Amino acid sequence: MTDQTVFSDATQAAGTGESMIELTNVDKFFGDFQALKDINMRVGKQEVVVVIGPSGSGKSTMIRCINRLEVHDSGQIVVDGVELTDDIKVIQEVRKETGMVFQQFNLFPHLTVLENITLGPRQVRNLPKKEAEDLGKELLEKVQIPEQAHKYPGQLSGGQQQRVAIARSLAMSPKVMLFDEPTSALDPEMIKEVLDTMQELAESGMTMIVVTHEMGFAREVANRVVFMADGEIVEVGTPEHFFENPTEDRTKLFLSQIL
Amino acid sequence: MTTTTSPGAPAPTTAHHRRMTPTKWLKKNLFSNWYNSLLTIVFGAFILWVVVSLARYLLHIDTEIIRVNLKLYMAGRFPNEQLERLWLAIYIAVAGVALLARATVSNAQRKATEAGIEFHRSSWVDVLRRFWPIGALVIFTLSFTETITPTLLTLVAAAIGLGAYWIGAALPAWIVRRLWLIPVVGAIAFYLALAGFGGVGWDLWQGFFLNIVLTVAGISLAFPLGLMLALGRRSTLPAVRLLSVTYIEFLRGVPMITLLLMGAFALGFLIPGDVQFSLFLRILIAITLFQSAYIAEVVRGGLQSVPKGQIEAGQSIGLSPWKTMRLIVLPQALRNVIPAMVGQFISLFKDTTLVYIVGLLDLLRAALVSTSQPEFFAQGLDAVVLPFAALYFWVGSYVMSRESRRLEKKLGVGVR
Repeated sequence: MTDQTVFSDATQAAGTGESMIELTNVDKFFGDFQALKDINMRVGKQEVVVVIGPSGSGKSTMIRCINRLEVHDSGQIVVDGVELTDDIKVIQEVRKETGMVFQQFNLFPHLTVLENITLGPRQVRNLPKKEAEDLGKELLEKVQIPEQAHKYPGQLSGGQQQRVAIARSLAMSPKVMLFDEPTSALDPEMIKEVLDTMQELAESGMTMIVVTHEMGFAREVANRVVFMADGEIVEVGTPEHFFENPTEDRTKLFLSQIL
Repeated sequence: MTTTTSPGAPAPTTAHHRRMTPTKWLKKNLFSNWYNSLLTIVFGAFILWVVVSLARYLLHIDTEIIRVNLKLYMAGRFPNEQLERLWLAIYIAVAGVALLARATVSNAQRKATEAGIEFHRSSWVDVLRRFWPIGALVIFTLSFTETITPTLLTLVAAAIGLGAYWIGAALPAWIVRRLWLIPVVGAIAFYLALAGFGGVGWDLWQGFFLNIVLTVAGISLAFPLGLMLALGRRSTLPAVRLLSVTYIEFLRGVPMITLLLMGAFALGFLIPGDVQFSLFLRILIAITLFQSAYIAEVVRGGLQSVPKGQIEAGQSIGLSPWKTMRLIVLPQALRNVIPAMVGQFISLFKDTTLVYIVGLLDLLRAALVSTSQPEFFAQGLDAVVLPFAALYFWVGSYVMSRESRRLEKKLGVGVR
């Protein structure tokens, strides 16, 4: 069961107070294995939530349920007032508003950087080519690689690829951004450029859920930190609470192992 | 192997290449010890013997049979008084291919320029290097003609090709946006030129021409069908999936000859009513059905080679399942299976000779027919006409496989 902490409850959002994402009693099974156990969480508009925890704890599964890359077995997931169901129209509605950045970037290798970014706006939002390209160039400017527009992903470094992936998600003007270990596949010297981009995004008021092992990022950028283990939310709190004064033994053990 | 220096010329002096005289090279590579020397001598003698016998054979060949039967080999019993239709059809095909080739190149060029990237158009030398076997084969064929007419008509074809290539750069925008129009209109014009207005129906399309028509038509029909079957096999609808799997597994389990024989002798009974398909059409259907099953499996391999993350990325930006398939998965899947796909096309090309079993007069059958003519009967001329026929298939297959390798390289298969 979710443990209450003195500081915060997973269902109490920071940010503006209005909620963007609500998970209520969410369970998820892979065969007999229960990957998510009765997850309750609320993320407010403009809030940045960092999810940490050992591997296999269900962090990725949880955020993948939010844009239905995984299907939850019971409970309720509501994104910006829309409850996820099996209806493909509803799912696509949610996906349009939800950007996702993957550990392995997952850029489309057969398209140029600019085409990667304009694909969504053109095919999903039906933006004309010219407008989509202007938007794409603007976003590349924002992630600081405008000169790479006509290269293919394979010609870019990992850090550049991940920034393109962020730009690709932003091109859909999402209301929420989900980050699934965005720096785990990067060489150490490239982690910073990606984290900086993410920090800027957070400062611009984007609602974000970030699964990461970057404790520095969690400490600096997060409004709240969620610690998961064995498919459960173990502890939730502000970064100060979390890193200086965690209550749960499992949190203490985890932090002692990684810090 | 180490680089060798040609006698008299200075050796290239790059860092990796040591200077070596021919004698030293020979000693190092061919005569380094006693058994190596023995192998060199034995194989050298064998190769010399093969070359000498081949040269003697080629010098003493009587090509009379080819000169007399050239038209039979190329076009079978296509009525002589209508041969101008065949030339017209060839001109249409040449023009269509040249137009399409140039329009594609110009498109790529325009796209590159818009994006501000340098574009390297392949030079004439490149084109020559790519297609010289075809040119050589045409000249080889013309060397057996007895009048100058075919040569002149071929030169006209070359001129038409060049002209169409030139025009291809200046096509109006509405055609450039619909390049599929060129093959579609081309195919209709091709058919009308041959068979329209009291022309020659396809049951009289024979000789090597038949092999080519069956190959092109077979690929154009079997590829889309195979693609649909491959997608059907991955469908979430159980009925579609079952149907696709059954079709693929059944047709892959049957020898092609059986299908051809069924197409020739049994299909008529299976089709209800008075609908009568000509033999050509029934054979084309048999080839298409057979090849589509194999193509479906090739495409399936390609679909499986695309990582799941690609689909998830497509979904995460809100693409519908169909658009994810069409814009993300298929382009990568097809790119990954170019070698296997072209291999399939090559085998289709060669398998078109199997139609001789059901009595269609393709190049192979024409070759065999010619050796049973009274003036050429029982003179061992099979040894002349069979290699002659094989040469045409070899050139076709060779060019296809080289083009596939080039395409692979260009699209960067294996580069992620």
